[in-house]
Amino acid sequence: MQPIIEAIDLHHVYPNGTHALKGVNLKVNSGEFVAVIGQNGSGKTTFVKHLNGLLRATRGLVRVNGMDVAQQKVSDMARLVGYCFQNPDHQIFCDSIYKEVAYGPKNLGLTSSEIDERVEEALNAVGLIHLKNEHPRDLSKGQRQRVAVAAVLSMRPTILNIDEPTTGQDYRDGLEMLELIAQLNRAGHTILFITHDMRMVARFAQRVIVFRDGEVLLDGTTREVFREVETLRSTFLTPPQITTLAHAFPDLYSQTILSVSEMLDQTVALLNHRPVN
Amino acid sequence: MSEIVKVEGLSFRYKRGTTPALQNINLSVKAGEFIGITGPAGAGKTTLLSCINGIIPHYYTGDLKGKVEVNGLVVAISNFRELAGQIGTVFEDPDFQMVSISVEEEVAFGPENLGIPSNEIEVRIQEALQKTRIGHLRERAISTLSGGQKQRVAISAVLSMLPKVLLLDDPTSELDPIGTHEVFSSLSELNRQAGITIIVVSQDVERLVENADRILVLSEGKLALSGTPREICLKRDILESVGVRVPQVVEFTISLFSHLGRPISETSLPITVDEAVPILRGMFQEAGVL
Repeated sequence: MQPIIEAIDLHHVYPNGTHALKGVNLKVNSGEFVAVIGQNGSGKTTFVKHLNGLLRATRGLVRVNGMDVAQQKVSDMARLVGYCFQNPDHQIFCDSIYKEVAYGPKNLGLTSSEIDERVEEALNAVGLIHLKNEHPRDLSKGQRQRVAVAAVLSMRPTILNIDEPTTGQDYRDGLEMLELIAQLNRAGHTILFITHDMRMVARFAQRVIVFRDGEVLLDGTTREVFREVETLRSTFLTPPQITTLAHAFPDLYSQTILSVSEMLDQTVALLNHRPVN
Repeated sequence: MSEIVKVEGLSFRYKRGTTPALQNINLSVKAGEFIGITGPAGAGKTTLLSCINGIIPHYYTGDLKGKVEVNGLVVAISNFRELAGQIGTVFEDPDFQMVSISVEEEVAFGPENLGIPSNEIEVRIQEALQKTRIGHLRERAISTLSGGQKQRVAISAVLSMLPKVLLLDDPTSELDPIGTHEVFSSLSELNRQAGITIIVVSQDVERLVENADRILVLSEGKLALSGTPREICLKRDILESVGVRVPQVVEFTISLFSHLGRPISETSLPITVDEAVPILRGMFQEAGVL
């Protein structure tokens, strides 16, 4: 299968001289749910901004759906790759939620009934259809975050990049946001989400890519990556508490533990001398 | 120990608010305590901090009932100058708070405005930067710092006013894991070594459990829970019902113990990974697995 995203020896040097990406090579297949983690300044956001052409490679190549992104217009890439900013207020600029979500499709030159259909669909997906005539200002931050997602969804992008969707939100709003993203993933969207929340990574991501100093430090399934406790620690990342607890007994737990319920099942089996599956 | 913050029967409704933001909050904080405050969005956490540092009622007005005292000063009738020597506040976004170009200017800003002599300011700058371990950043431009460094500059800028109480409103939500670690280490050190009273609002319950002497859980403007981290963790059901994330170690241990029919008490409940490891090891040894 042809990967939907392919980066080959990707370098990026910002005008101030910062070498933010130093030779990134990776492939993402269609339908994957990928968490991108690492400290601020490690290159995560710089990387995803290459996928829709917001940033251009200094050296190397990024292909999306087989096309060299450098040869495409940003406006054309927007149909294929959606990008939700870390702070929804950096993105939202219209005075009603309807207008905000309709903005992208309008620029595609769609008819008003097609625009209506897309806005309805996107606002239904994020559960905000009842607020479509409200001013974004009157919404909570969690709701504005969802408006930002809807504004991207209305472009029906195949790939969705979401930058720190849970920052500044409480636990419930953050969880709701990720459940929405997981639902979009099940509907066929390829997801890349940047986050610092390791519990959310363990719960939702199938694959984890760890950036450090502009390079890919680790890349594997969530279980494979969270097994590398020492390597993660070298960049100040800690797996969730439950993973760390199981890791203290490497001879007993046969695989990396990702959730409390897995830990409970395996611990009860161990205490009862039953084989651990 | 003496009482440094006293909140009695505090209720507040914002001028244009339809429902009260706080309802009948009572709280007594002793000098040197490390208090964590958590709760879902809209629970009243920031409003409570604003009543303690005087932003309410001096800046935001509304319907205020009850009384807040900081080190004997009644907040509602004291001016900011009096309060500034008692209490310092650090906000969520460090960029929102900074007024200067360089770290040194930022930390000097508060004492300069109080008219402190320059040799005394120099001493304060040195001490404030040393306490948050950023002495080496003194000459740097703030714009070149990482989030964790900026937030420690914000803390230093408040420390140079020599406050007795430090309030922090979700100081790590915008930070990466390194920054979060740096800020909580600084807070814990300031508390233990300089004896500064810390009141910190955070969504990061696992960090609060590791660092705080006492945790308050707010929900819909009311105090839903208050107690030591262990006491709070034992009330898992209440935490979940108000939308607070329970530490995974606690969730696991409570489920495991109840599955095995073991009693759970304040003495037996581990609340950190370090506490849980020996308990689990003991259980494996008892069962002959280890």
